[in-house]
Amino acid sequence: MVGLGLLAVPTGAGAAPVLPPVTPEELVASVLTADPDAFAGTVEVDNSLGLPPLPDVPQAGDGTSTARVWSDGEDGGRVQLPTADGEKTFVSDGTTFWAYDSQGRTVTEGTGADRPARPDAADPAAAATEAIRMLQSSSTVTVDGTAEVAGRPAYELVLSPAPDERTLLREVRIAVDAEQRVPLRMTVLATGSSDPALQVGFTELAFGPQDPALFTFTPPPGSTVVEPDAERPEGLPERPGTAPTVVGDGWDTVVLATVPATGEGEGTGMDLRALGTPVSGPWGSGTLIGTAVANAIVTDDGRVAVGAVPEQVLTEALAR
Amino acid sequence: MTTAPVLDPVSDAPRAAPLGRLLAAELRWVLRRPRTLVMLGLFALIPVLISIGVATAGATGRGPGLVSAVAGNGLVLPIVALTLSMALLLPLAVAMAAADAIAGESAHGTLRGLLLSPVSRLRLVVMKAFGVLVVATLATVVVAAVGVLAGLVVVGGADGQLVTLSGTALGPGAALLRVGLVVVFVVGQLAAVGAVALAVSSVTDHPLVVLASVLGALIVFGVLSAIPALEWLQPWLLTSGWTAGVDALRDPLPLGGMIESSLRALCYVAVGMGLTTYRMLRRDA
Repeated sequence: MVGLGLLAVPTGAGAAPVLPPVTPEELVASVLTADPDAFAGTVEVDNSLGLPPLPDVPQAGDGTSTARVWSDGEDGGRVQLPTADGEKTFVSDGTTFWAYDSQGRTVTEGTGADRPARPDAADPAAAATEAIRMLQSSSTVTVDGTAEVAGRPAYELVLSPAPDERTLLREVRIAVDAEQRVPLRMTVLATGSSDPALQVGFTELAFGPQDPALFTFTPPPGSTVVEPDAERPEGLPERPGTAPTVVGDGWDTVVLATVPATGEGEGTGMDLRALGTPVSGPWGSGTLIGTAVANAIVTDDGRVAVGAVPEQVLTEALAR
Repeated sequence: MTTAPVLDPVSDAPRAAPLGRLLAAELRWVLRRPRTLVMLGLFALIPVLISIGVATAGATGRGPGLVSAVAGNGLVLPIVALTLSMALLLPLAVAMAAADAIAGESAHGTLRGLLLSPVSRLRLVVMKAFGVLVVATLATVVVAAVGVLAGLVVVGGADGQLVTLSGTALGPGAALLRVGLVVVFVVGQLAAVGAVALAVSSVTDHPLVVLASVLGALIVFGVLSAIPALEWLQPWLLTSGWTAGVDALRDPLPLGGMIESSLRALCYVAVGMGLTTYRMLRRDA
């Protein structure tokens, strides 16, 4: 019984480690220039965004999912997303990229620009560094004590929106490894909720040289190799004239895009209406899809506006 | 009656029978039961049926689900078959053996002889636990061994290799090692079921009660783990780690899930065997 109790107790809830003080500016600068060593780690994604689980991305739905991440410290990387009865594997050796899906046993192979979509969100280090780069100019940056993540001491870097930013988010907390200056955990907190809307963090992390065989991939017998463009699952529509435009910057960034007009437009419209509520304004009419941290408006004429902002900011962006 | 009292012509004082002979006697007793043999035969059918199903579905059978991972990839079959039969069938076999071991003998009136024989109660518990463990191991090994054969013969291996869920190919040696690992893992989990079943078996005279309580508990565990609000209960439930056997199909091998599950099973073994011993030491003949 005691043993079961030990298994039930969450680990890693130790006291906050004592670290030499650091200014927020130094910490941000060191994160942006950090050159982490090779590592192997396990990442846990705790998702309460309120999105429906998508057929190809069960991780998008609410719940906890894990990812296994390797890096050789250079360009090579490997991400594995296990599900109960399958796995998606993404491998890169720096020039060639492979994506393997165990369900159809398909390998998507590409180089450089043809790089198959990789789940950068599964790598807290990459996602958090990107967030710092995007948000630091429009944020109040503070260091809020220390924390222990995956057994490693870390600084808690807090980015909160400047007062004139109109956003649904309250703050983004990033735990930065004290030694390697790599983000170990990113927590997104929405206004009006004390529970994180999204938390991506390492639960296990070990720095050290990795087996080079991890960063190359040989299509296994019985698998089919497809070109990256031949099978672009629900991917971003990259056609002329549909390149997304960005309105605003920092926390109240709104991304405007155009849904490609297809013959089955009616069908997709129906689905979206089931997900959201109808809205209209001088910009036209459409469907508002809201989650805890972001809103999206899909207009009836096929435009999409997405941002971590209140509805009003979206409609202003659409009206421009 | 599994052992005859050893009578010493010199002094009438009872003497302990050697443990090896006790275990051999229990083994004979367990393996001579027709139901044990029929059950092992039925277990051999599970991988065969899966392999025939997968082979007839052919390439069209690909899609989501673990069974589709077997298509054209025969060495996956033993692991998939073990994972599938672990849900209810293997625990059922173990619960049956545990029910026969104590409650069954008690119902037949043969337990009385055992309790009176010059065998310490502790040895009796060890002997009964050994019998249950043998059934668990045999059932698991049968599923795995027939799974390997059926996978290679009926489904056919991917060039004699095992294609992991991560997209790497393992040679036959490495693949068999993985199967062996899953066998050890499954036997460990079944030992936990068996220990708890023995504990129930030692307090009742009705074998059916043992079967019903073990299967009922498994179903309740399944229901509890499906309720999101009871997520905090997960680390306490034996069944919550039972899918970890599939981890053997991933590369590099993640051992975390299987180790955690095995530790949990160990706790159940300790509790189950503790209760069994406690009850048997105090039981009236």
